[in-house]
Amino acid sequence: MSSVRPKLGPDVPKVITAWDVATGATVYRTQSGDWSQDLSDAETVTGEAADKALSAAVTDETRILDPYVMEVSDEGGVAGRETLRETIRATGPTTHPDFHKAERGVINA
Amino acid sequence: MYRYDEFDAAIVKERAEQFRGQVERRLKGEITEDQFKPLRLMNGVYLQLHAYMLRIAIPYGTLRADQMRTFAHIARKYDKGYGHWTTRQNIQFNWVALKDIPDVLDELAGVEMHAIQTSGNCIRNTTSDQFAGATAEEIADPRPWCEIIRQWSTFHPEFSFLPRKFKIAVTAAEHDRAAIRVHDIGLHMRKNAEGETGFEVIVGGGQGRTPHVGVTIRDFVGEDQLLDYLEAVMRVYNRFGRRDNKYKARIKILVNETGADEFAKLVEAEFEAQKDAEKIVLPQAEIDRISAYFAAPDFETLPEASSAFEEAKAKDAAFARWARVNTRAHKQAGYSIVTISCKPIGAPPGDVSHKQMEVTADLAEKFSFEEIRITHEQNMVLPHVKLDDLYEVYQTLEAAGLATANYELISDIICCPGLDYCNLANARSIPVAQELQNTFADIERQDDIGELKIKISGCINACGHHHVGHIGILGVDRKGEEFYQITFGGRSDEKAAIGQIAGPGLRAEDVPPALERVIEKYREVRSEPSERFIDALERLGHDPFKEALYAAD
Ligand code: SF4
Repeated sequence: MSSVRPKLGPDVPKVITAWDVATGATVYRTQSGDWSQDLSDAETVTGEAADKALSAAVTDETRILDPYVMEVSDEGGVAGRETLRETIRATGPTTHPDFHKAERGVINA
Repeated sequence: MYRYDEFDAAIVKERAEQFRGQVERRLKGEITEDQFKPLRLMNGVYLQLHAYMLRIAIPYGTLRADQMRTFAHIARKYDKGYGHWTTRQNIQFNWVALKDIPDVLDELAGVEMHAIQTSGNCIRNTTSDQFAGATAEEIADPRPWCEIIRQWSTFHPEFSFLPRKFKIAVTAAEHDRAAIRVHDIGLHMRKNAEGETGFEVIVGGGQGRTPHVGVTIRDFVGEDQLLDYLEAVMRVYNRFGRRDNKYKARIKILVNETGADEFAKLVEAEFEAQKDAEKIVLPQAEIDRISAYFAAPDFETLPEASSAFEEAKAKDAAFARWARVNTRAHKQAGYSIVTISCKPIGAPPGDVSHKQMEVTADLAEKFSFEEIRITHEQNMVLPHVKLDDLYEVYQTLEAAGLATANYELISDIICCPGLDYCNLANARSIPVAQELQNTFADIERQDDIGELKIKISGCINACGHHHVGHIGILGVDRKGEEFYQITFGGRSDEKAAIGQIAGPGLRAEDVPPALERVIEKYREVRSEPSERFIDALERLGHDPFKEALYAAD
């Protein structure tokens, strides 16, 4: 199963994001098909490659759940209509600064 | 307080063990997420934006000190050091790893707690007046009835696959602190002409996408017939409630579409048709047995007034203010009900740290017969504190950051987790609450404004009760930007009403100045300082306040 999020055109750069099954942490799919909590490790994909990456992610459900495609900028930072949501997923709540994951440097938006 | 019997204890322990097996199988890939999801939801495990969230039931908001300590321990060991009180008097932990949840459930079972029925289309935790058993306003303690409803509804085979979730609230005080008119079923304990105690039955209230105030379908149901009558309501709902459309599946839609009179007739017919063999015999002995758990604690015989209390107020103005704002009259002479505000200025409403939980548990043990209540307005209560002890309680709370004197004032905001946590959110709600608290931080000014309930939700699901806020704030998403729709005139008390939208939505940064204009308008037009905002709104209509809201445009 994959989460339903806004439709993105084929040329829009995207990464596959999901949740780690054991911990619930936000994860991003890397080029090797593994999962990283750092957005900067994610593979940016477009077009058919994105469809394939998502299909592969859907079958990886021992490790992750509810994968979906999210928009990124050409540089791989959070972008598009869901920038706020995805920034919060990447860095943590805006209200408890102690919980920010920003020290990992994952946000390039 | 209610203590588990051997059956309760066995059920909860067994359930935790079952879930351990289910989690193991999920982590090994032996079951899919589709298969696992309903199982985790049945144990209160949701997936939020960036973590799992575990929701734990606090039956009718009543907690013992040792249970609070267990929450503190869970917050420290399995979470990031804090928990969040919900508008259903429950607690949510926002960062628990799935692999740890079986251990958490074991720890909870050790103190007679669980996460059963905190999710799914079943009868959820029954909520109640947080001052139950302490206030002189009530005709009886409603909590034995909440417990009876809990025992009846937990795992009830007929009601474990309802069209939608189902929420019941009970109060026994004329002033409704439990928001019973915006519940699927609200029960108001009443006395009939013969002096017997029973229940006014209100159905079809609710918030969310289609808010409704509930309607009374029976003025009086006797205690011995309560469960039969509830069963009749549930059967009518189960039979006719819509299952084809999630947004039309709540009982409020059925009651509204059927018409309250017709719905009442259907319930009466079902009630009449129940065969003798089906009747739930609720013998007085059983009512008495459960009521005994809620017997008043061993109060001391004390004078009405306390000289220690009066002296402390005279020498410490901040304490005097706190005592005036955050305490309420107790039914027992010499005692007081203390509301511990979980809304310090600028902090996420309803969040408490593990240290604050420990402090509260200490105070409950030392000063309140081990009892704590959680309120649907996301605060805590020490229900039975001697006036003589109030100053010490205050000083301890003050040192723990828990002595904000804002109960029912403008900064005592109900606020859902919103987009900072919630996977369904359209917009953030906590930062809006924080900004408003900062705007109105001056406690003198808050005091002058008086009772004013702001309620904020991050989406139309209305977990933050915005529909019934004197001022409601709803976060909406407009092409990726957060906007906030303001409503006026909602209330959840005995004069329950749904707020009306004031006009176009505002940007986040415009909300505090706009509400400041509204509040200044109110201070200007109120007939006297004791006329509350909600009363002025009722007397003058919404127009002057709408004008003030948009005056900057
Ligand atoms: S009101 Fe919406 S955003 Fe807030 S907690 Fe409920 S579902 Fe989430």
